[in-house]
Amino acid sequence: MLAFTVKRLFGVIPVLLVVSLMIFALMQAAPGDPVSMLVSDEASAEDRERIAAAWGLDQPAPVQYANFVKNAATGDFGTSFRYREPVMDLVLARLPASIELALYATLLAIAVGIPLGVLAAARPNSVFDTIGSIGGFFGISMPNFWLGILMILIFAGYLNILPSGGREPWGLDLPRITGFLTLDAVLQGRWDALVHALRYLALPTIVLGTAMTGIIMQITRASMLENLGEDYVMTARAKGLSNRVVLWRHAFRNALVSVITIIGLEFGALISGAIIVETVFSWPGIGLLLIQGITFRDFPLITGLVLIYTTLFVLLNVFIDILYTIVDPRIRMR
Amino acid sequence: MTTATYTRARMSYGFLLTPKAIFGLIMIGALIIAGAFAPFIAPFNPARQDLLMAMTPPQLTGPHYLGTDHVGRDLLSRLIYGARVSLLIAIAVVFFSGIVGVFLGIVSGYFGGRIDSFIQKFLEVFWAFPPLLLAIAIVAFLGQSLTIVIVALASQRWIPYCRLARAETMALRDREFVVAARSLGAGHARILREHILPNIIPSTLVVGTFAMATAIISEAALSFLGLGVPPSIPTWGGMLADARAYISTSWWMALFPGLCIFLTVLGINLLGDVLRSHFDPKIKNF
Amino acid sequence: MTRMPTLRCLASAALLFGASPAALAAEEMTQQRIAVAITETLAGHNPYGDAVVLIGSLWCKVYGCLMRYDFETGRPIPFLAESMEAEDELNWIVRLRPDWVRSNGDPVLAEDVVHSIDRVRNDPESTSGFIVQPIDTAEVVDDLTVRITTHEPTATLADNLTLLQITSKRLYDEHGQSVYRSHPIGAGPYRLSELSIGSHMVLERVDDHPMVAPSNPQQIMYRIMAEPEARVTALANGEVQIAQGIPPQLIDRIEQLPNARTEFANSVEMMFLAMNPATAPWDVKEARQAVAHAINREGIVRALLGDRATLLDGPVGEGQFGFDPDFKSPYGYDPERARELLESVDLVGVEIDFYTPVGRYTADRQIAEAMVPMLEEAGFSVNLRTPEWATLWSNVQTGGVPFYYMGRGQMLDPSRALRQYFETGGSPRLEFSDPELDALLQAERAAFDPDERYGLMRQAIAKLTEEVPAHFLWLHQMAWGVAETVEYTPRQADRVDGWDIHIRTAP
Repeated sequence: MLAFTVKRLFGVIPVLLVVSLMIFALMQAAPGDPVSMLVSDEASAEDRERIAAAWGLDQPAPVQYANFVKNAATGDFGTSFRYREPVMDLVLARLPASIELALYATLLAIAVGIPLGVLAAARPNSVFDTIGSIGGFFGISMPNFWLGILMILIFAGYLNILPSGGREPWGLDLPRITGFLTLDAVLQGRWDALVHALRYLALPTIVLGTAMTGIIMQITRASMLENLGEDYVMTARAKGLSNRVVLWRHAFRNALVSVITIIGLEFGALISGAIIVETVFSWPGIGLLLIQGITFRDFPLITGLVLIYTTLFVLLNVFIDILYTIVDPRIRMR
Repeated sequence: MTTATYTRARMSYGFLLTPKAIFGLIMIGALIIAGAFAPFIAPFNPARQDLLMAMTPPQLTGPHYLGTDHVGRDLLSRLIYGARVSLLIAIAVVFFSGIVGVFLGIVSGYFGGRIDSFIQKFLEVFWAFPPLLLAIAIVAFLGQSLTIVIVALASQRWIPYCRLARAETMALRDREFVVAARSLGAGHARILREHILPNIIPSTLVVGTFAMATAIISEAALSFLGLGVPPSIPTWGGMLADARAYISTSWWMALFPGLCIFLTVLGINLLGDVLRSHFDPKIKNF
Repeated sequence: MTRMPTLRCLASAALLFGASPAALAAEEMTQQRIAVAITETLAGHNPYGDAVVLIGSLWCKVYGCLMRYDFETGRPIPFLAESMEAEDELNWIVRLRPDWVRSNGDPVLAEDVVHSIDRVRNDPESTSGFIVQPIDTAEVVDDLTVRITTHEPTATLADNLTLLQITSKRLYDEHGQSVYRSHPIGAGPYRLSELSIGSHMVLERVDDHPMVAPSNPQQIMYRIMAEPEARVTALANGEVQIAQGIPPQLIDRIEQLPNARTEFANSVEMMFLAMNPATAPWDVKEARQAVAHAINREGIVRALLGDRATLLDGPVGEGQFGFDPDFKSPYGYDPERARELLESVDLVGVEIDFYTPVGRYTADRQIAEAMVPMLEEAGFSVNLRTPEWATLWSNVQTGGVPFYYMGRGQMLDPSRALRQYFETGGSPRLEFSDPELDALLQAERAAFDPDERYGLMRQAIAKLTEEVPAHFLWLHQMAWGVAETVEYTPRQADRVDGWDIHIRTAP
């Protein structure tokens, strides 16, 4: 197991190289140049030349790539064209916001989706099952921006009980330790700050968690149904084990492999792709950073972000592979 | 609840004439027919504008039963025409990504080792890759078209199938019936086809149904950036993107395309349930 | 915030004794702070590195600029400068005020001006070198006097200098490029207290600054909120007091709020349809004229902009230099005439590609969609193209986009913009060339007498409008949401200056 983990973790290096090469090639191929996006509407031809030279954009593409790899090897991912800060600093300042939001949304989806899925599998085609499924499909059919704006209009506007956006109130003054606001508040015993942080988290969490709840519920239900038909469940029932024990201890445990897979995938998607929610709620996460990077053709920022995503996803995959072997001892990693 | 009721519940999935199946068939059938015969059904030309009638709310007595959009186009007609492209995108994306993903997933999970590690690396390369960037680059070479939307969306949609199929295959590969088949001399291809594949269909179907909805909605995101289908062609996703600015003032612009996606997903899911119980080997135990 | 009750007490006491509340307010600086929801991004600490107009004007508020725009008269007036006078056609003498100092006590010196001109030109991060493009040299005459020499006679230099922030040479020499982050010390009426890239920026009033009034807010947070519905909601529940960029369809919602109102400012961004005469069919003047006659501007403004736009006759509107209320564009909405023109040159059915940005300007894509049937009625066969913004914008800048809907901002004085788009060799954006117009624009730039310049500008505008390389459409009226607790009249060109915002004391 240890050997497997180590091997997989080292495997990240070729993956990163391939990803960076692909990104680089695509950015060269994509129309639109960073200089045009950087200069002001009034810029002169000299402005354009000066900026191109300042960022090394006048160099041939292979030279640019070689420079990038050379610097990246020392942990320097370059300086963002637009924000003129080291890419690492920019990303690290915003990553906690994205991960915190993704974690809460995932927790919400697990807390709601799994019990609903198990219950639906216990009584397939019951009224409960039908309503649950329809709710889940409704959740996924309504795009995030629609749900997000609706939430803002209701909870921030009409009821006026939650803030309309942002991550913290002005002047919260909470020293950062981990960057996760709720955790920092608890660590410092700042209960007022914790309440604030949770209030700001509430709406984006619900919006992000809704679609995920639907798919977790459905996958739990489907895998449970699959397992409830297996011989060992029959045997367990024949042995007189209670329905609850059969459902949770036997069928659910075996369904867990699929459920964990989906949770991992969705969590990954949330870290990288909460773009719409971040826009609607002015959430200072990294999804927005990527979109801005792409629209401004901010090459170092895009490359840096994608490489960080890649690393995170590789770690996530390894972690999930390890989880498989824990929940289902029959699975061995070779 | 006892085994008996459980069995009955499973049995009631039955074959293609259950209420669920009929309902699903009607829903999907209606949408496909609407798209196919759009010019005969739609009350208006979907591109016809009437600025004076812009943002008319739904009218029970017509002529604009579902209202009009920001430039006065008839929403119902656009929904009917929109079914063409949107269903095509949804089905094409789910179909292609499903086949690729499941194939790579079961191979990865069944053989493990080097093959697994290679396929997983391949997957990791694609996973973090922004499809938006891919779309921008392809548009530059091939121009704005439907194919780009499908390629850009499918470039990542195969990943969930692959991870899921792999996980389930890993859990299955040392189970009694697989071991038995192997000892009886069945080849790898046959084991994968006859013993592994049928068992991973249910969860694949769940992922597929949800992927349909996200494919239609994601097309809107691409449209919004000008990378989707050319703007003269109505799509549900494009209509949703248009509606974004008018949510609090013209609710119908977002609601009806959303409902169409909902009905599609629901219909596909109902059909999927039926297909699943039809093809699931364990059903025969009952 | 907590001082409000005291203030109110004092105010009512003062009324009893017959003192005017205004006099009293002068003694007590308001402690109120406000938040402003803005739409654009925030690129960082370097004042020369932000291409966003609104943010650039905030940096002027922190560091101070030599000149500022007076919206009442429509002319640049001194800010950090005491005076700015032309010695002759090429040389200008700028004298600095001796009494305004930086918040660390340093005076603003002539060497700072020379340094700032050098920075905006040579800082690799600078995005705004155009500001000092006309300047050949700048030299220190004495501590408070600078001589600026231009390459050619440039009457509009003062307008350029409204955009140039004056940073400290001494601090830069000490701290280098990181000075903007570590020592953002200026001589403006507000100082920087916090900045989070891409998220928000907090400015704090400099209480003893001469430009500050007691009723100006003590702190202002500029907060980026991209979603219009969120901005309106935040205004409604008091999270922000001023909200930028209210789209036409949400104006009614604000009007119905008990605690807020909408205020309007004409933008100085002309919206236009550019027709590149180097591409077919736009090399034919009749085709361009047909476009101008085909567009029903009134209809679009009513249906898609909620009547919140001012139709243009030529590139400028009221409040901008060169505006002539008596000038009328020869191209009114006349679909039949459009068709006749196209028929007269045998171009009916000609295929054209029409490019529009998406989500860049108010209702841009919607407007372009509405134009398609109008153009088709005139006889064009239209392909609407909606490329992603970076693609379109890069292509427009490097030239070759045949026909596009676009805006050109920052046109308080249209001189630079007209040169950029319409003068031969101005930029590759339009490739229009007309010797007569070139001569007029060159003469206009060199005319130091404002009245003479105005006359030349009017002639240039008339010529330009007649030639239709671009069909000038309208100026958007920018709607701002403003809380009832705040007195604020939005200005043109996206300025949200602290000295323009006043906290209303309770009645």
